Amino acid sequence: MTTSSRLNIGAVRCTFAPWEDPAAKPLIRFEGVVKRFGDDVAVNGVSLDIYEKEFFALLGPSGCGKTTLMRMLAGFETPNEGRITLEGEDILAKPAHKRPVNMMFQSYALFPHLNVEQNIAFGLKDLPKDERNDRVLEMLALVRLEGLARRKPDQLSGGQRQRVALARAIAPRPRLLLLDEPLAALDKKLRDETQFELVALQERLGMTFMVVTHDQEEAMVMSTRVAVMDKGQIVQVGRPSEVYETPNSRYVADFIGEVNLFEAKVISADGVTMTLAGDNCPAGYAVREDDLLSPGAAVTLAVRPEKIQVSQDRPPAGANGMAGKVADIGYLGDWTTYLITVPGGMTVRAARANSARIVERPIDWDDEVWLSFSPDAAVVLTS
Amino acid sequence: MSKLRPRHRGLPALAPFLWLAAFFLFPFVLVAKLSLSDIALAMPPYAPRLDLSKGLTGVATFLHGLDFDAYRHMVEDGVYAAAYLSSLKFATIGTGILLLVGYPMAYGMARCPPKVRQALLMMVVLPFWTSFLIRIYAWIAILKPEGLLNAALGWLGLPPIALMDNDPAVIIGLVYAYLPFMVLPLYSVLERQDESLLEAASDLGCTQFEAFWRVTFPMSLPGVAAGALLCFIPMVGEFVIPDLLGGSSTLMLGKTIWTEFFANRDWPAASAVAIILLATLIAPILIYQRQQAKLLDAQ
Repeated sequence: MTTSSRLNIGAVRCTFAPWEDPAAKPLIRFEGVVKRFGDDVAVNGVSLDIYEKEFFALLGPSGCGKTTLMRMLAGFETPNEGRITLEGEDILAKPAHKRPVNMMFQSYALFPHLNVEQNIAFGLKDLPKDERNDRVLEMLALVRLEGLARRKPDQLSGGQRQRVALARAIAPRPRLLLLDEPLAALDKKLRDETQFELVALQERLGMTFMVVTHDQEEAMVMSTRVAVMDKGQIVQVGRPSEVYETPNSRYVADFIGEVNLFEAKVISADGVTMTLAGDNCPAGYAVREDDLLSPGAAVTLAVRPEKIQVSQDRPPAGANGMAGKVADIGYLGDWTTYLITVPGGMTVRAARANSARIVERPIDWDDEVWLSFSPDAAVVLTS
Repeated sequence: MSKLRPRHRGLPALAPFLWLAAFFLFPFVLVAKLSLSDIALAMPPYAPRLDLSKGLTGVATFLHGLDFDAYRHMVEDGVYAAAYLSSLKFATIGTGILLLVGYPMAYGMARCPPKVRQALLMMVVLPFWTSFLIRIYAWIAILKPEGLLNAALGWLGLPPIALMDNDPAVIIGLVYAYLPFMVLPLYSVLERQDESLLEAASDLGCTQFEAFWRVTFPMSLPGVAAGALLCFIPMVGEFVIPDLLGGSSTLMLGKTIWTEFFANRDWPAASAVAIILLATLIAPILIYQRQQAKLLDAQ
């Protein structure tokens, strides 16, 4: 993604980027990994590098193969083809119990017959007794469960169980921690808090985390990089901001966040701006020219709702103005979402941050309004 | 919360109590009364008899006639204590062997694919479709000196073994008859076990063998306790198996009760043996019920 680093995409700057350093050696490397279950191909030729200290997210709908990919790392599944290496060493030769990889299960899989302390100590049987006790105390402090060491799992709340599962998986100090839908069982408020806690914990421990999730917000908030998966393949890998702002396909644009997709045809390009024709924008679209496209090429413009302005006034020429009628309004508190029908028949989604409490000219249902977006708000997709 | 309770639930709740009173408490009181009576040359062969036509004096005479002679007789005659200990020994050995045989069976069944499991479960229950007595007679045909077992041994060129009318024959019979009662509770706890717990154990460095001892086995202990008590309790009082497969020297309380009742016509002694048996089994029965409650809780 050379374009993205040049363009300062998103509102976040992060200097941690070992994947951009050609000298950096990956911690985990998948090479052409294929996994079949009978006739179903769960993972179809995945090659992927994950670097030390990354918080890597595998994101995709259920059945896309992300969990299978993770279970192959843990040793619960064996790939039919390909190699998986950890620090250059083939890990497929090792059984699950010998791999320096631990997993936090989606169901937490806490041992119901053992208390919190014993659960955390479960993976530490090779340590001397003193060291084991110290480690357990350290873990209890880390996840703030000191007072509950003697409780059984069924005497804990969902959030506490989640923390025990985390402590148990971290305690043996694995080279890589796998988290399978770590926050799926928590309610919204707790999930939001825990997302940031997990990131802080990962930075403090300096451990490499790999999380599997179907929740894009979870992936975006926590991870250094996201791999978006579809039908057993990785469609795009990048920082959360890259994946959001420069999706490489309709699938990624549609899967992560909300998006409006306008069909268009290239008319002309002058090296800076491209002009395109489409049904919904009679004046023609004007967008940044990122790639060389020959006139006549069919493309899709992907524009995020928050990058579309809604106004009662006509926008200036060249601002991709579209007249439309308000079909529906969703007030979310922090944001308001407008569904606006444009002459081409398409319903465009536009979102506005409610940064002011008092609005002079509020927009009503069935109002005639104007939509517009700046030339660099649109992503031109050819696939 | 009492306000929220549906009304009129008192009556249906009474039904099990009436049932227990009619079929458990009343016979129990009769047996307890019998055990306090004395043997008499009459029909029925015990005294005193309650004569209600004499009113309160009748009740008083009756109560005055009750004593602990039957119990005293049991303590004085060592044969009862011997039968009692021998029963406990048979039940303990039987339960031990049942655990050793039943656990691997139940474990194997629980690890089978669901369709096979159903078939295996069916096969465990299948023997109940035939009369218990006939099945024990079938064992006589197998175990008797010129039976199937010795015929097979002879065919293999091995010397015959004596497994009829002795204690090992009783153990074989007990293990055979009670195996389903051991396998079913064990199977039900093992089958319920979450597969991901074993994955977690292996993830945390356990080999399959270690995972079994650190996760599967401790988690199956309620089933072990349930199965052991479910077999141990009725085995102590077992009558048919020692009577048909055991020898004349095989001592078990069930046989003692039968002998006292039918051969010696000593109803008070037979009742006293039954009461003592019940009294000693109350502790394991209570433990069993607590285990069951725990199991239900865990579900």
